[in-house]
Amino acid sequence: MPRLIVYSLSILALLALVPPMVLARNRGEASATTGVHIIFDMDLQTKFKTQAVNPLFADGRSMRQPVAGTVARGDERLDTHYYNGVVAGQWATTLPAQATMSLKLLERGQARFNIYCSACHGYAGAGDGMVNQRALALVSNAQGPVDGTVWVTAKSLHDATVTVQPIGQLFNTITYGIRNMAGYGTQIPVEDRWAIAAYVKALQRSQDAAVQDVPPQMRAGLGL
Amino acid sequence: MSRFLFPRWIDSLVPVLAIAGAVVPLYAVFIVAYGFSPKSLEKGYQPIQPVPFSHARHAGELGLDCRYCHSTVERSWFAAVPSTQVCMNCHTQIRKGSPLLAPVKSSYESGMPIEWIKVHKLPDYAYFDHSAHVNRGVSCVECHGRVDQMAVVTRVKPLSMGWCLECHRDPIDRLRPVSKITTLSWDQNTQMTREEREGIARLYHITPSENCSTCHR
Repeated sequence: MPRLIVYSLSILALLALVPPMVLARNRGEASATTGVHIIFDMDLQTKFKTQAVNPLFADGRSMRQPVAGTVARGDERLDTHYYNGVVAGQWATTLPAQATMSLKLLERGQARFNIYCSACHGYAGAGDGMVNQRALALVSNAQGPVDGTVWVTAKSLHDATVTVQPIGQLFNTITYGIRNMAGYGTQIPVEDRWAIAAYVKALQRSQDAAVQDVPPQMRAGLGL
Repeated sequence: MSRFLFPRWIDSLVPVLAIAGAVVPLYAVFIVAYGFSPKSLEKGYQPIQPVPFSHARHAGELGLDCRYCHSTVERSWFAAVPSTQVCMNCHTQIRKGSPLLAPVKSSYESGMPIEWIKVHKLPDYAYFDHSAHVNRGVSCVECHGRVDQMAVVTRVKPLSMGWCLECHRDPIDRLRPVSKITTLSWDQNTQMTREEREGIARLYHITPSENCSTCHR
């Protein structure tokens, strides 16, 4: 066999080893480029899913905003007790008819509180959450507040100004916010906001409890 | 007119061609199966986002629950990317002058959403429901990895059909109590026995479907 053919076949065989090696080397490595879609039109169909971009609209959203000044049927929210925590112009002092006090409600409230509220207010509601701690660290930086951070310490939920608030006022604060606290009405469904308000009331009781609140037969176990 | 005769050495090509005839199709199959697999094409996707948001800082260091931002995950098939309002719950105050937050600020002022790039995109012919999984003991970490340790979110699992089916055929080792669903550092395989995980499967009535129409609907 002529040398030329032997050499070219050997070089070809060696070159054929390169693609597998490149594949093995780069497999699963971090890359900023999208994966190749081989069957393109099946992977990326001409339909719009949640939060997708739609170039047909000027704002690029496939999810449309309600027309200004309109209210969807069934979304009137005329029940001020349920949606605002207000009864006859006063803060509601009871849960609305849609929520019933139960251990289940309080446990739901606790789980939701730990997700949404504990970041600033802390798990026990003392106003010492991690975001609060970090914000204070950024403010008290030796070279001045980092990137213009301003921060007012998150309120302790056991502060006398909070403990006197009726449950309706707590619900309203969670929904619409107050001072530097943003409203959570868009993030937390209304029934969960009532659960959180109920849990805050329970948390206040627990953190400000007196010996008399503990059943006598339980006191010995707690060393009281 | 002289006749063309193949030279004698042509005969020695026959075994070479035989080997090539056997190897080349195998080689092509290997390249397609290995190279075009989602483990090669999709895993490792790490796009550059419009804002260098660090999950390691927010979910890891500060311990924010996944659901603080992805608040629809328990109620919807879709774990929504938070609105700019959610960013601004804190960032109206914290590091509000940072140039890195400029796109967030301008989105907040204009009302136009930030165009985050989707990292975990399934093909449009596949249906996946987040709420069905997180409410029945499948943690975020099973598909998304340790996002709480990622400064830049990367796709660490292939999200291929074969990979989905691995779990649908034997879900026990991927199940945990719903109360631990967003605790990404918690590992059911070290914290629970297999019997306990089987108990979870009974508790949540886990009978994963392998029907085509479950996902291709």
